[in-house]
Amino acid sequence: MTLTQKPLQRVEALLEPWMKPDKTGRPAGNRLDIWLTADDLLPVVATLVEDEWGYLAAITGLDPGVATGELHVLYHFAEGAAVLTLRVVVPRDAAEVPTIRPLIPLAAIYEQELSEVLGVAIVGAPARGRLFLPDDWPDGVYPLRKDFQLEQFNDKEQGGS
Amino acid sequence: MNASTTDRFVIPIGPQHPALKEPGHFEFTVEGETVIDATVRLGYAHRGIEKGAEGRNWTQSLYLLERICGICSHIHSTAYVIGVEQMAEVEVPGRAQAIREVIAELERIHSHMLWLGVAAHDAGFDSLFMYTWRDRETVMDLLETISGNRVHYSANILGGVKFDLTDEAAAAILKGIDFLEERTRHYREVVSQDAFFLQRTRNVGTMTREEALQLGVVGPTARASGVARDVRVDAPYIAYNEFPAQIQLLGAGDLEARFLVRIDEMLDCYRLIRELLAGMPAGELTAKRMPRKLKPGEVISRVEAPRGELFYYIRSTGGEQPDRVKVRTPTLCNMGSVLTQTVGHNLADVPMILVGIDPCFSCNDRAVSVRRAGRAEGQAWSWADLRRYGINYYRRQLNLDTDHRPTDLLTY
Repeated sequence: MTLTQKPLQRVEALLEPWMKPDKTGRPAGNRLDIWLTADDLLPVVATLVEDEWGYLAAITGLDPGVATGELHVLYHFAEGAAVLTLRVVVPRDAAEVPTIRPLIPLAAIYEQELSEVLGVAIVGAPARGRLFLPDDWPDGVYPLRKDFQLEQFNDKEQGGS
Repeated sequence: MNASTTDRFVIPIGPQHPALKEPGHFEFTVEGETVIDATVRLGYAHRGIEKGAEGRNWTQSLYLLERICGICSHIHSTAYVIGVEQMAEVEVPGRAQAIREVIAELERIHSHMLWLGVAAHDAGFDSLFMYTWRDRETVMDLLETISGNRVHYSANILGGVKFDLTDEAAAAILKGIDFLEERTRHYREVVSQDAFFLQRTRNVGTMTREEALQLGVVGPTARASGVARDVRVDAPYIAYNEFPAQIQLLGAGDLEARFLVRIDEMLDCYRLIRELLAGMPAGELTAKRMPRKLKPGEVISRVEAPRGELFYYIRSTGGEQPDRVKVRTPTLCNMGSVLTQTVGHNLADVPMILVGIDPCFSCNDRAVSVRRAGRAEGQAWSWADLRRYGINYYRRQLNLDTDHRPTDLLTY
């Protein structure tokens, strides 16, 4: 149990200034979730990097449904068995998060994927071509959004070619 | 290529070449023999599997996700099933978990053997390649004996496993791994003592512990640089609590260390499989009941694939199918290190450094063209040419005959 509890206690102490009771969750014994605004993301990640808590295991982009008007970006950090998830909620029609790649270079590849498949703009990231989707993929079409319609997309593609 | 040191070339490699599971496109800028910049373009094999899982029910998604990889298929399905079982609050019998672990370790052996062979081939050491792939057939035959399949064993189902390990199968496994262990010890000797081989691996592509942490590499690539991370040990899943793996760590951080860490891992696999077979719990193969619909919720599932940590995030909104399945494979973490490690090295070392992270091998075409930076006309190079260039470069260093044209066994 110490493998899980010690890192979690440490990260709770580290991130105490950003942990509000209604914005914090313990979805499982080894997990801690913290909801953040996009503005708080950089200071929190900087704290984790400075104090060498865990490593960025993945960035998950979520579409909770068109009706919510939101997109979620989840930054998963792992240390031993413990997983910290920073959850950033952004408006669907102006979805953007700041880049964390100056702090964690590996994040570049995850952020690029996030922007391509879910359409969350990465503020501060250098413009570059696509890393995952085809070069001829239409701009502004994000396959992991729930309103993405494969059938419509196929029609459009056939009409275009 | 007789470029003077002032000439700059951009060497595009791929997207199709035999060194990666997913075809990847690299551009290496070289000044003379030295790489000074590297970039990557991925996605040529993007199949939309995460999106595909959203349109399939919990069971169908299992079969889809198992097909993400043809080398480590079992570990993908394991990451998925343990996550879904956790959300469904289903207790999986101990025997099923132990069988999952046996298959996972057999898969690790076959994956590391495959890698050892291809890495040897890229170093121009084809006899080692042929021996390792011959020996790998032993573990492939064992997997086929147990499951009926060589690649997609389909051992996992939601709530348990599909087949039992019979006494005959256990005896065959024990006999097979006795043979493999002897062979693996021999390979360890070859890899750590052969002077020609060491010239391609010792102090090549060195990554310090600090660099490894900064780059975020995972799996054997990280452990060869002294980063003690192994999900089997850090966060034991399936039966790793009862039958623990031992972490294999080395500090040198060069290609030689990456060879030795993987070989040591194979040796630990043999120990682990013997313990599993000796202590195999009795009991059922599946949970009593696996619900068709899952409650709303989400789960994070981490497992140790042969190439490092495999990360799954699974979300349910209460239906018969997943709302989101996020997969982060280990090669993605390790890819960044190829770009930084090759800078400053000889072009001749690029194939070995790329192969050192063990990207999966299944693509069969290569297209490399060499062009002077800024000029349109070019000279076409295939991956095979680059590999041959690397081998001949080192033969020149050793004053050996440079007309040597190594056979391209992987060029179909």
